[in-house]
Amino acid sequence: MMEQEHLIDLKNVSKEFDGTTVLSDIDLYIRKKEFLTLLGPSGCGKTTTLRIIGGFEYPTTGTVLFEGKDITAVPPYKRRVNTVFQKYALFPHLNVRDNIAFGLKIKKMGRKEIDMKVDRMLELVNLKGYGKRGVDQLSGGQQQRIAIARALVNEPEVLLLDEPLGALDLKLRKEMQLELKSMQQQLGITFIYVTHDQEEALTMSDTIVVMRDGHILQIGDPKSVYDEPANAFVANFIGESNILRGTMIEDELVNFCGFDFPCVDSGFGENAPVDVVIRPEDIMIVGEDIGQLTGVVQSVLFKGVHYEMMIDTGETVFKVHSTIMQPQGSRVGLTIVPYNIHIMHPMPEPPVDEEAVADV
Amino acid sequence: MKNFFKKFYLGIILVFLYVPIVVLICQSFNAGKSRAKWEGFSFRWYGELFQNASIMNALWVTVSIAVIATIIATVLGTLAAIGIYSMKKRPQAVMMTITNLPNTMPDIVTGISLMLLFIFAKVDRGYFTMVLAHITFDVPYVVLSVMPKLKQMNKHTCEAALDLGATPGYALTHVIVPECRQGIVTGALLAFTLSLDDFTISYFTTSPLVQNLSTLIYSATKLGISPVYYALSSLMFVVLLVLLLIVNRRTAETKA
Amino acid sequence: MYNVSLPWWSYALMGAGLVVFLGLLTLSVKRNHGVKRSLFASPYILWMILFTLLPCVLIAYYALTDGSGQLTLDNFRAFWDSNHIMRENMRAVAGDEVAATIPRGSVNVDTLVYSLWMAFLCTAISLLLGYPAALFMADRHMKLGSTLVVLFIIPMWMNFLLRTIAWMSLLEDNGLINAFLEWIGVGKVQLMYNQGAVLLGMVYNFLPFMVFPIYTSLSKMDPKLGEAAMDLGCNEAKTLLKVTIPLSVPGIISGITMVFMPSVTTFFIPRVLGGGSTQMFGDLIETTFLTAGDWNLGSALSLIMMVLILISLSILRKADPNGEGGGIA
Repeated sequence: MMEQEHLIDLKNVSKEFDGTTVLSDIDLYIRKKEFLTLLGPSGCGKTTTLRIIGGFEYPTTGTVLFEGKDITAVPPYKRRVNTVFQKYALFPHLNVRDNIAFGLKIKKMGRKEIDMKVDRMLELVNLKGYGKRGVDQLSGGQQQRIAIARALVNEPEVLLLDEPLGALDLKLRKEMQLELKSMQQQLGITFIYVTHDQEEALTMSDTIVVMRDGHILQIGDPKSVYDEPANAFVANFIGESNILRGTMIEDELVNFCGFDFPCVDSGFGENAPVDVVIRPEDIMIVGEDIGQLTGVVQSVLFKGVHYEMMIDTGETVFKVHSTIMQPQGSRVGLTIVPYNIHIMHPMPEPPVDEEAVADV
Repeated sequence: MKNFFKKFYLGIILVFLYVPIVVLICQSFNAGKSRAKWEGFSFRWYGELFQNASIMNALWVTVSIAVIATIIATVLGTLAAIGIYSMKKRPQAVMMTITNLPNTMPDIVTGISLMLLFIFAKVDRGYFTMVLAHITFDVPYVVLSVMPKLKQMNKHTCEAALDLGATPGYALTHVIVPECRQGIVTGALLAFTLSLDDFTISYFTTSPLVQNLSTLIYSATKLGISPVYYALSSLMFVVLLVLLLIVNRRTAETKA
Repeated sequence: MYNVSLPWWSYALMGAGLVVFLGLLTLSVKRNHGVKRSLFASPYILWMILFTLLPCVLIAYYALTDGSGQLTLDNFRAFWDSNHIMRENMRAVAGDEVAATIPRGSVNVDTLVYSLWMAFLCTAISLLLGYPAALFMADRHMKLGSTLVVLFIIPMWMNFLLRTIAWMSLLEDNGLINAFLEWIGVGKVQLMYNQGAVLLGMVYNFLPFMVFPIYTSLSKMDPKLGEAAMDLGCNEAKTLLKVTIPLSVPGIISGITMVFMPSVTTFFIPRVLGGGSTQMFGDLIETTFLTAGDWNLGSALSLIMMVLILISLSILRKADPNGEGGGIA
């Protein structure tokens, strides 16, 4: 990417709260008109990163650049970014119209212009005619839209969204995801989005930044993050995975579960310990006699579109997704295509943070 | 049946609370001076009330002190609540303990300690010291009524204002203060009522030359109290009641 | 209109405080790096130091010194033994033997014990009367709560001294109650100037302070909890005992505090309704200060009362660590 396309740069940003490090040495750039998502379990530093961009926190060390200019110490009200807060933070003493007009009034804009802009915003978020309502008379979804309108009406260069859909129910959340995405494309504004929901991140983003414990683990577009996770944590956090310890026999040949599998990765050296990641939907169930591995179906769960089966091969238990159900207790064969086997350097820490994954 | 019993019980308690007040109001219309004998209906004491210079003066002292103390205490207390709210945990806890201290101190100790202070500082006790004392016991109540409103506020509301371009000063006056308006009003009303009704603290912090209604009534009890005071308190009672009804009517209208 | 004469240094102090506050305020607004909003509390802090903490220190100072400013514990000895000073004087004049014949004067301690006992009775009666009232007020089926709160507040608008005096008209020998008793043929009864009258006056004045916090904590309670208890097999009495009352403990504690404290220290009610027949501790402090003019002993008595109250409060707080009791509001 060319340097001048960077809208925001975070350089060596660290943040400490009372001695505990929340962000360590973050380097990140955000391009114009990009939909960038900061993804990670709670406590990974994603919200702090957002708040540093918004100006609500100041980094302990490091600098924030906006179009190349240092804005590290600029207060929030002088930044050309606006935020959609978690739980919205609408002003309860103002009605919908005055909430949206808040920023414009501060800019001392004329009445007519304010009215026009507010009307246009209400139309954009599909709440025409709600201007006179009090904000506490609105449903969660409507409040959400008002919060977005209140931020967007100021025509910010960047919109920061802090888990904006967290309080909505599943169906509404899906609708709003699509709406937000189309709004972003329509308006051509940069969105920086914070979420712990990997599905949301995959659906909406141009770029996903996966974070954990104040570090960035991987930056990439949704497809590459899903298909080529940088390590076992990312693999497990983004989608479900079977993660196994294995040994790289040689280039393009890996051993796990007592079997040598052909794969497509190379450059790990010979007889090197590695982590092997296999998506549950990438394991094919075949006849017992023709599989690379054989196992017994331990349990079957219907998940709507597919069945989730736990298959015990003796060495390990695989999670397998398939649209065809195998009865519990039956013996089946398992086969994995080489390019679906993802080899990665073993994580120094225990590979999976169970709790963090559980709340996804 | 059970509901009847509950209502009956509440009725008894209310009778207990209201009997002395009814007696007082009746006596204010008694033509005679005796508490025990009814000597016919008359407005005599109401007439005398307005001619009684010491009562009128005490009324002025009471009301003016209540107004001044309420205004100062409300400003001081609201600022304090906002300040304490933005403190870190430890100093916040210390400040709340200090705020609760006057609440846990009996009136008589508060009064005496202030009296000692004024004597120690060689300030003549009178109107001014009474104002200081009233502000002192009012402020914590304002802080304690504003604080919960601040705590209820969405943590990010103030940040949202800054985010939309408001300077910290603008956010304070246009977002934070309006949002705790209810708490501020409650605190001010509480302060006003306490100040109006205070006896003990005023008693110790004023001189016999500057009397508010309570201290005046107290000195009058030593001599045998005149029904003029009954007329006065009945009148104040009715005024407050009418004010309450008007306020209620108005809030009911704005809600509808 | 009124003569306000302050020593010069108090103006200097006030001026300096104001300048410091305004200076810090402008400084914090000018600095963009994080707004120090906590500075808004500084005038309040200054005020509290000047008018709450400093007076407390003064009380402690007077309690621990004698008339000439010498450090001493005599005031506490005088609390324990009201004849202490007389005996010391006697010792100086007539020697140890005569001094030893003067017995310990227990007036102060007795008054304290009596006050605590009266306050305890008042609190207990208020709780017994007030709890059912609060419970019925909070009854959702009757929908009386908010109206009754107002009805309980209205009497407090009548001047507290006059309300107490009004009881005199009811209780005195020629009062309304005695007139009624005479009319039904029972005959006159001495109602005033005894412990019962004082207790009545105290309960009358402080009952609302017991009812409000209990009502607040009861009405905050989720009605489903009662239903859940019934669902699990509690009858109404058991629900009350096992669910409702335990959940209203913060309100009860707050109510006890709000009734007990003013009861120990009231000095107007015993004076009017007790007619000086019984002295209470607030009464004693007042006369020690204003009639006897002994600030040192008076301060010691105040200090003792404050310490007692702080101790009992901290014990009560243990039962309600979150301070959820709430007050009138």
